[in-house]
Amino acid sequence: MHELPFAKSIFHAVVTKAEANGATKVTRVVIEVGVLRDFVPEIVQKYWKYVTKGSMAEDSSIEMNEIPATVTCGDCQTVYEINVHDLVHTHCPQCGCQTGKMLTGRELRIVGIEIE
Amino acid sequence: MKELKFIDLKQCILDDNGHVADEVRELARQKKFFLWNIMSSPGAGKTTFILDVIRRLKGEFRIGVIEGDIESTVDAQKMQALDVPTVQLRIGGDCHLDAAMIKKALENLPLDELNIVIIENIGNLVCPAEFDLGANLPSMLLSVPEGDDKALKYPLMFSVCKALIVTKIDCLPLFDFDMEALKINTRRLNDDLQIFPVSAKTGEGMDEFIAMLKQLIANNLQLL
Ligand SMILES: Nc1nc2c(ncn2[C@@H]2O[C@H](COP(=O)(O)OP(=O)(O)O)[C@@H](O)[C@H]2O)c(=O)[nH]1
Ligand SMILES: [Mg+2]
Ligand SMILES: [Zn+2]
Repeated sequence: MHELPFAKSIFHAVVTKAEANGATKVTRVVIEVGVLRDFVPEIVQKYWKYVTKGSMAEDSSIEMNEIPATVTCGDCQTVYEINVHDLVHTHCPQCGCQTGKMLTGRELRIVGIEIE
Repeated sequence: MKELKFIDLKQCILDDNGHVADEVRELARQKKFFLWNIMSSPGAGKTTFILDVIRRLKGEFRIGVIEGDIESTVDAQKMQALDVPTVQLRIGGDCHLDAAMIKKALENLPLDELNIVIIENIGNLVCPAEFDLGANLPSMLLSVPEGDDKALKYPLMFSVCKALIVTKIDCLPLFDFDMEALKINTRRLNDDLQIFPVSAKTGEGMDEFIAMLKQLIANNLQLL
């Protein structure tokens, strides 16, 4: 459900960019999403179909690349990847401590679009 | 056959909201008010907590409220009963507030007279965390009955807040809520997060929270 407003923002940005480049059609969109955003690819697809209907981006594909969540260890500054679905077992591989500061995992970017 | 062209964008989808949030930050700096965003699930106790904070700070600060509750204007009426300028946002079925709504709401508050503006966000632990509102203090309320494992289930929310208020601690004897487990779980992603256990019912912990808040406001508004 929370993907819908983003699908609309992506659509808006994509169309603006495509028109600025003299395109008549958008065929493919690639986005990058941090895992903490908790975007479900199938749901993104569904909303993309819905928001692009009747537009220059109708029938375009949307590809979602996931960016893993990483933190900087609060003790030894080691950067390590965390499994957001198993946070309980997350600890620094270097010093074993369980504190950190979020580094990546909240991204939300349009990487590029393919136009005709 | 038409030519295919791939355009590199690297465009942040949240840029639009981010720019408006920056404008809100700048407005708060110019008009010298402290903007405080309070997020939680529905019923966690935002309104009760805000009313208690207002009663405690009224003598010293002039406070305004932006009320983002979905259903009705009940909460706004409670604020107005305390003589606090309040803007009720009409958000229909939206699940979050964004920076543009806050900017608009601020236009309807007497900013020259205010030191603090409190935002009661929409009850939801997912969407509100995704939008920067330009607040000096993004914070979250977690009530004891909701359980200590919420940091594991809503990591984004816990990672964007600077303060976590654990409320309804008067209910602790009734639940198996583990405060230590909560601390460990939040610090996995956000080791700067400050945690304040309080009860808006008994007043326990409120003095400590108010002391921190006053210090933060003083630092932000250079009142010291
Ligand atoms: N026992 C107890 N109940 C509380 C406390 N804070 C709020 N409540 C109750 O929780 C319910 C929901 O509170 P409300 O402030 O409306 O929550 P909101 O939806 O987050 O604004 C109300 O019945 C409050 O009286 C507290 O600290 N202790
Ligand atoms: Mg409320
Ligand atoms: Zn470490």
